[in-house]
Amino acid sequence: MTEEFLVAKDLRKRFGDVPAVDGVSFTIRRQEIFGLLGPNGAGKTTIIRMLSTTLEPDAGGIEIGGRSVAEDSVGVRALIGVCPQELALYPELSARDNLVFFGRMAGLGSRQAKEAAAENLELVGLLDRAKDAVRKFSGGMKRRVNLAAALMSRPHLLFLDEPTVGIDPQSRNHIFETILRLRSEGMSVLYTTHYMEEADRLCSRIGVIDHGRLISLGTPAELKSAIGPPDEVTLEQVFLNLTGRNLRD
Amino acid sequence: MLRPLLIAWIELKRFGTDRGAIAFSIALPIALFALMYGVFGRGASFSAAASMVDLDGGPLAGELLDRLEAVEGLRVDLMTEAEADRALDRSRILTAVVIPTGFSEGLQSGEPVSILFKRRGSGGETGQIVSHIVQGVAQDIAGEFEARKLARDGLAGRGVPEARIEQTMTPLLDEARAVAVERRTVGEEEAPAGRLIPGVLTMFLMLAVTLSASSIVDERRMGTLERLLTTRLTVNQLFLGKFLASVGRAMVQALILLSLAFAILRVADAAAFAQVVAFSLLIAAAISALGLVVAGAARTSEQATWGAVFLSMSMTVFSGAFISVGETGPLAFLSKLTLNKYAMDGLHGITSGNAGLAGQGPEAAILAGITVAGFIVARVVFRTAQKGE
Ligand SMILES: Nc1ncnc2c1ncn2[C@@H]1O[C@H](COP(=O)(O)OP(=O)(O)O)[C@@H](O)[C@H]1O
Ligand SMILES: [Mg+2]
Repeated sequence: MTEEFLVAKDLRKRFGDVPAVDGVSFTIRRQEIFGLLGPNGAGKTTIIRMLSTTLEPDAGGIEIGGRSVAEDSVGVRALIGVCPQELALYPELSARDNLVFFGRMAGLGSRQAKEAAAENLELVGLLDRAKDAVRKFSGGMKRRVNLAAALMSRPHLLFLDEPTVGIDPQSRNHIFETILRLRSEGMSVLYTTHYMEEADRLCSRIGVIDHGRLISLGTPAELKSAIGPPDEVTLEQVFLNLTGRNLRD
Repeated sequence: MLRPLLIAWIELKRFGTDRGAIAFSIALPIALFALMYGVFGRGASFSAAASMVDLDGGPLAGELLDRLEAVEGLRVDLMTEAEADRALDRSRILTAVVIPTGFSEGLQSGEPVSILFKRRGSGGETGQIVSHIVQGVAQDIAGEFEARKLARDGLAGRGVPEARIEQTMTPLLDEARAVAVERRTVGEEEAPAGRLIPGVLTMFLMLAVTLSASSIVDERRMGTLERLLTTRLTVNQLFLGKFLASVGRAMVQALILLSLAFAILRVADAAAFAQVVAFSLLIAAAISALGLVVAGAARTSEQATWGAVFLSMSMTVFSGAFISVGETGPLAFLSKLTLNKYAMDGLHGITSGNAGLAGQGPEAAILAGITVAGFIVARVVFRTAQKGE
């Protein structure tokens, strides 16, 4: 059993003239929270879409759990869970119905899906609202259901694409706790964000990405020590140092 | 293969949470039925009114009016010339028949007489039919009058009583009046509402195009398409699920419409009802599959909507539902490219009571072919569009 659960080699994707992803390679280890840090438009979502089998790369190779995404996409899907940046839920249906449905699509039986739905709603702290239509939820609650839906397949590797954008601190903390707990239960996580504090707090290793290129990769401490004492440097400064720009531009 | 069923189920469930959509989908067939009932409910055959102006007032003009009154389905509206002119002026009638002064006298004296048809344009379809009826009846009268006169003149001075001549002539003339007509029935006449059902039902099922055309774009908009494509669901299963949902919804609506039509208008018996329902299933399947082609290609809601509108409108227009396309020529050829033609042909075959469902093999085969081809094309188009992103 290799330590690397995901291996991405030299991924490339162009949209017309835009090289959205331009030669990105990295690995994700078992039980690791790997961060992709970069500003809007850096190529984070495009990378996740290629890793999660919904977008074919122009070039490059991806292996997840020893299975090739290009050759065995169905096998790969059995291993992953995706929490997309945009909500991916049926607003008219209840949180529970959404989760049960996606559980069944992931291959769970009727009973299993119901149990898993209850577990995951409990995990994101929304079990008491299980029967309410998703459209009645606040933005933060919707995001938590979105995360719970990604967990329905009981994935080995979870893709989280900016799961905390524009939500209340309470929901944000809830999501952090959930992620840490999942990791402790053995899950690997790919976490994208443009918030440094989040990356710093959660991730064991971080890839800094800008204009579709991976410009630096390492533990938060390694990234910081490149420009000064890790205790005094922030990731904000790391990014500024790497690109000459502020991350929030 | 449970997943396609689950896809269909969740789609119908979502549809079910929308009270407005449900009310609309039930109200629509009922409204359509009410329209059909309004037009054909009270059982109609040929019926027309002859607008007559009697300037003569003589016995033979009276005879003409009486005989017209006796024609089945024809009503005689007697009016003055001024009234007729005014009605023509306002297009309330398209044809008026004027019996001129001296009509009776002229006939009696053996002089040529005429009847005047006043009309707007061609006089309208019923106007033309009425004109022919009037002409025929008038000629009958003139001919009979002539025959009687010949008989009387020939027998003059032989002491044959007038009553005797009349007694002999009347049955002879009655017999001669009608050109002998042999009637050979080639099939039951369709009830008027029955004749309407294929067109209405087909157009109605066409609505399914709109719903299935936007089914994939809907998922894309909600972001759920991306999520579904990362599960074990295959594109095949996804499209099959959408297909089932579309067919299911169309059939529920068709059943409402057909139940009303059969129960209240009594267009046919239970066996025909079952056959029409079965054939509707084929139509709904073919239409839904075509909708999926649009769904596979469309990237936005607008594209899906316009694609569906274009598809259903062009097929309805060219099918021959509104314009007569004949059996040969470019229009007939175009109509053969529409799904509606086969749908309506098959339904007509059933409602006319001639061959039943079993006789609709070619139409059924074509619809099944469209279903399979549509399904395959939809998937290919979807894959290509997805890759070209
Ligand atoms: N479907 C698409 N079509 C065309 N351009 C796209 C598409 N998706 C992303 N892009 C472009 O690719 C670049 C990277 O986008 P994205 O991966 O969404 O960045 P991020 O997630 O880091 O904000 C951007 O310039 C974006 O405009
Ligand atoms: Mg993004």
